[in-house]
Amino acid sequence: MTKYFPDIEYQSITEIAPRIQSEDLSPVDLLEIMLQRISRLEPSLNAFLTVWSDSAQKAARSAESEIKKGKYIGPLHGIPIGLKDLIDVKGHKTTAGSKVLANNTAKSDATVVTRLKTSGAILMGKLNLVEFAFGTTGLNPYTGDVKNPWDLNRITAGSSSGSAAAVASGMILGSLGSDTGGSIRMPASVCGIAGLKPTYGRIPRTGVLDLSWSMDHVGPMARTTEDCAILLNALAGTNNDDPTSYAGPSEDFTSELNKGLCQIKIGIPTNYFFEEPVDSEISKAVLYSVNLMASNGAEVVELPMPWVNKGRAINLGVIRPEAVSVHESLMAENANLYTSDVRRRIESGLIIKAIDYVHAQRARQWFNHKMSEAMKQVDVLITPSVPIQTPTIKQCITVDKNMGAGDQLPMFTSVFNATGQPSLSIPCGFTSDGMPIGMMINGHPYDEKTVLRVGNAFEKLTQWHQRVPTDIPAIK
Amino acid sequence: MTHTSKQRQSSRKATRHDQPDSVDDIDEIHASQKEVERTYSVIRSIDTTGFEPLSIFVPTLSHRESQ
Repeated sequence: MTKYFPDIEYQSITEIAPRIQSEDLSPVDLLEIMLQRISRLEPSLNAFLTVWSDSAQKAARSAESEIKKGKYIGPLHGIPIGLKDLIDVKGHKTTAGSKVLANNTAKSDATVVTRLKTSGAILMGKLNLVEFAFGTTGLNPYTGDVKNPWDLNRITAGSSSGSAAAVASGMILGSLGSDTGGSIRMPASVCGIAGLKPTYGRIPRTGVLDLSWSMDHVGPMARTTEDCAILLNALAGTNNDDPTSYAGPSEDFTSELNKGLCQIKIGIPTNYFFEEPVDSEISKAVLYSVNLMASNGAEVVELPMPWVNKGRAINLGVIRPEAVSVHESLMAENANLYTSDVRRRIESGLIIKAIDYVHAQRARQWFNHKMSEAMKQVDVLITPSVPIQTPTIKQCITVDKNMGAGDQLPMFTSVFNATGQPSLSIPCGFTSDGMPIGMMINGHPYDEKTVLRVGNAFEKLTQWHQRVPTDIPAIK
Repeated sequence: MTHTSKQRQSSRKATRHDQPDSVDDIDEIHASQKEVERTYSVIRSIDTTGFEPLSIFVPTLSHRESQ
């Protein structure tokens, strides 16, 4: 019989793991609560493409049995986790949310899946996304749009739309997303959860479909910064099959979480990130948060970055030709199976001249140099995650046809794909409409520890991350 | 909505290449092309002299493994 734990679906991995370890909570009971919640809310949210109830129940029983024998593995043991559906799991379909790959069955596990299984996590299923992760609003005409748990009329942002909505609604405790121009951090911001894009190469991408190989990152999404650190511990580390993966020493990303804000230097850009078209409620919330950190030990430095507005163009200028290269053969045979918006986005890469791609690569090198010079003065750079308030689905479909909001959403996140720096989005307030506001903490390459330390320190000073969308209407 | 002869011509061209673009799609394709042009005009405005991405062409170290 399932025990009842009030609000357990909204507890963090950090809160639940000790209860599983001490056998106060069985992974089987936890899974049952999550499955019941999925059954109730999924018809409203459309976050999952597939739910693996049977294999998850089998894995939960196995975890329960191991823990009873004293073989507790660690904080992910028995924890339900979801996967964006561009990550391979052997024997299951990887569709990338596209009709093109509707019958594509994975032959082996992605490295991140092997690592989650080794850490004892329970894989709950595949999560909805923008087709081939090539879009920012989160809409997908083929698989259906994911609804924002805070307001079902609004977008989740994307492309990791299901990964964000499933965590934000308490259907799972954590998820994996991917991020090429902001696809982890935009939906994390808009859905009021934490999302980490680690340094480029920190988490291997073997078995994860490419969109743009030099901009793609895999990363965790969860309720809190500490949960992201726990997931990163399981996922990070080099892999021989991914030559872009980072071959540095293994690290414990939770080790500096509680060091606080003393001696931390926060950089605040004096241009671009707090200028038009940034919504005033968003900029006020982020600046208020920075002031709060300043009054709790951090030092704040204003940074002029007159070159930073080129970041989005450089990000797009590299993504487009790489995406068309990835899709060339698939597109040749299946052009009519792509949804029209994504097909056009990919086709736009066909008209790019070689000289422009070369310019984009050189510009990226120039941009990285500028960023590393600016970062010499600080430990982290803090900005809003997205510049605009969350639009409605209707606005994105009918008014601006994905272009207005779709263009504006990644203005800030994409800067840190171009540089490959670690970048964390966490909640830092709410708009007058009751929608979450996200703050982005960006660090030095390979210094996720400081980014996570600042995020965790902020969460200890505030309660924004503890707010939950409690009245999600269930469709019967 | 009326379509220009250029739009109809583009649509016929797309059909010949098995691209399922309707005349209505052509406006959006032209919009995408304009967006691409905007992107690269920003990039072309940057003086990138001396900023070649070294990792692409600097040789990768190798050596014979000892037996």
